[in-house]
Amino acid sequence: MSEPDLATPFRERAGQALDDRFLQEALTIATTKFITLRREAFDAFPQGEALRDQARAIKEATLQRLDHWLEMLIDNVERRGGHVHYATGADEARRIVLDIARRTGARMAVKSKSMATEEIHLNDALEAAGVTPVETDLGEYIIQLAHERPSHIIAPAIHKTKGQVAELFRRELNRDAAPDPEVLTQIARAELRQKFLQADLGITGANFGVAETGTVVLVTNEGNGRMVTSLPRVHVAVMGVEKVIPSMTDLAVFLAILARSATGQKLSVYTSLVNGPRRGGELEGPEEFHLVLLDNGRIRQIAGPLREALSCLRCGACLNVCPVYRQIGGHAYGYTYPGPIGILLTAMLNGPGSVKDLAHASSLCGACVDACPVRIDIPRMLIELRRELDEQRIAPWPERVVFGAFAWLLQRPALYRLSARLGRLLQRPLARNGRIRRLPLFFGSWTRTRDLPPIAARTFHERWAELEREARR
Amino acid sequence: MTTRAEFLHRIRTEMGRAPGLVPSATAPRPTRPRERLEVLRRELSERWRESLERFAVEFERVGGVLHRVGDAEEVPGVVARIAGERRARSVIAWPGATLGVDVTASLVERGLDALAMPEAEVTPAERARLRAVAAAADVGVTGVDLAVAETGTLIVVSGAGRSRSASLLPSCHVAVFDREALLESLEQVGVALEAWHDGDDPTWRGAAINFITGPSRTADIELTLTRGVHGPREVHAVFVERGLDVRRRV
Repeated sequence: MSEPDLATPFRERAGQALDDRFLQEALTIATTKFITLRREAFDAFPQGEALRDQARAIKEATLQRLDHWLEMLIDNVERRGGHVHYATGADEARRIVLDIARRTGARMAVKSKSMATEEIHLNDALEAAGVTPVETDLGEYIIQLAHERPSHIIAPAIHKTKGQVAELFRRELNRDAAPDPEVLTQIARAELRQKFLQADLGITGANFGVAETGTVVLVTNEGNGRMVTSLPRVHVAVMGVEKVIPSMTDLAVFLAILARSATGQKLSVYTSLVNGPRRGGELEGPEEFHLVLLDNGRIRQIAGPLREALSCLRCGACLNVCPVYRQIGGHAYGYTYPGPIGILLTAMLNGPGSVKDLAHASSLCGACVDACPVRIDIPRMLIELRRELDEQRIAPWPERVVFGAFAWLLQRPALYRLSARLGRLLQRPLARNGRIRRLPLFFGSWTRTRDLPPIAARTFHERWAELEREARR
Repeated sequence: MTTRAEFLHRIRTEMGRAPGLVPSATAPRPTRPRERLEVLRRELSERWRESLERFAVEFERVGGVLHRVGDAEEVPGVVARIAGERRARSVIAWPGATLGVDVTASLVERGLDALAMPEAEVTPAERARLRAVAAAADVGVTGVDLAVAETGTLIVVSGAGRSRSASLLPSCHVAVFDREALLESLEQVGVALEAWHDGDDPTWRGAAINFITGPSRTADIELTLTRGVHGPREVHAVFVERGLDVRRRV
């Protein structure tokens, strides 16, 4: 299902989320829990702060020689018998995977959780080509059965109750089950175990690609990543170009902070290092291994305003701490990637015009920067995006007129002082107890949810002038 | 279709346009990783007891169960007891050469349905058959290449006689290790990974290295922690104090 929500405006989508009482409760519980787990993990790990700085430096250093590291990755994957493909856009990435599916006669594909394949809407394309895609991460499986989209990067089904999941399993799988997570999980285990053994194609993303060794690294808690890369005949990994890292030493740095940031674990249960197809003497492993390197707007940002977002590890920590995400959840954002980083990634993939509302869905409080394992300055880039939207006249006209007028005024000191005095007169009927609670006309929508401090009885300029006069005396 | 040359050319063009880069560095790698790993192992061999105690705490914290035995001959008994407690019948295991102790013969004697996975290349039909056996097995016995104290992690390298399924498909995984496998930290794992990939891959080594930190888990339904969603529901580690006779260590 691709972007069904975009027909309704963002304001309405957010409004619906705010009115959904179950969603509100689920969001509060989930995000609060993730925040606590993450904080406890880093409190007990004093070297974590230095490792975060180091991880960021590695990402930056890799970007500065991205061509070099990618070439090394490609050479090493090919040396180990893998095939590398190059996808400029989502359509090309889909075509590459479909060609592989067609050539190998695949009827069913099992997928390990991957944001990159969500991003290119691979499932719809597979289905249209007669290949049944099966999501195997439990959360992804649930939302696939429900024909929905993930609402959180690492916990895709946090918006669903166990009762809803039981009802879904009854309807879609014909299995009567108590609304008990343990029972429901065992049903999913049995259903998906058969799929793992039957599927011809295994499709994954990649958390990292290690250049020096040609290794694709997958991190999961459930073990589906291992199943998908060990059992089907063919394994296809779809990887954004920015996921390349130089060496195994670098990998150790990232692993130390990734799970701690995402779920508060020291390590996720399974970290799988995949070095190409099955080798002689091995019982398991695919006969073919394909790596699809994905651009889809990333390469343009090497020299673009969103460059910093190329360091993102997709851990989800910024979602949990964001006061906006915590209120509206992932679906209201309307695109594959939700939350603060999601706004930037959406702009990267679909252009700045796609986030003309979303760019404002942030209080710029900076909680995301503090939580980000590689300290991506998300608010800085959101401000940059807002400026770009204004310059390109994508922003709504009242916003542009008001801010344009304000900027004009700020450049004219005499007029500014005059307007401050004028404002003091005009605000008299509006100010109550040192607060303006309601503005007239369409300005009223601004004060509907917030108060405005009135213009001071004496402005800073006036007090400063007075001080100077006193000093001269 | 985009070619490699076009793809890399576009990256280089954008790299040339990137303004004001900040100085940055990748993590410093050991210059001679194999020698560094040897030195590290010598240092660690003097304090393996501390490493084991730390491992025990972390492994149990992630839901693993640690067993300690003196000699390798005691391993089949531990496996049989684990199987018996679960009323399990079928066991698959790595062969003696890679496990460091032969468990299957002894398990068969105890009335279990035990099979050692082959060490040599087999036909596709035989691979399919063995996969079905593994999928139906209750217990999988494997070796351990590294046991990481800091995180309670077992690292298992695939290869000839090193079946991946044995630690994945049965609902109960029993991993056997000795002091040689103990490392203290993830940073040291980085050194080991560098050493393993230094030079050509040995012919017996497979394509996958798996880090296993406790039983398979999920919290995808209402954040309720549930074990054994795809991988094993239980992970046991058996520490052999007087060592295993593994023919090839990685």
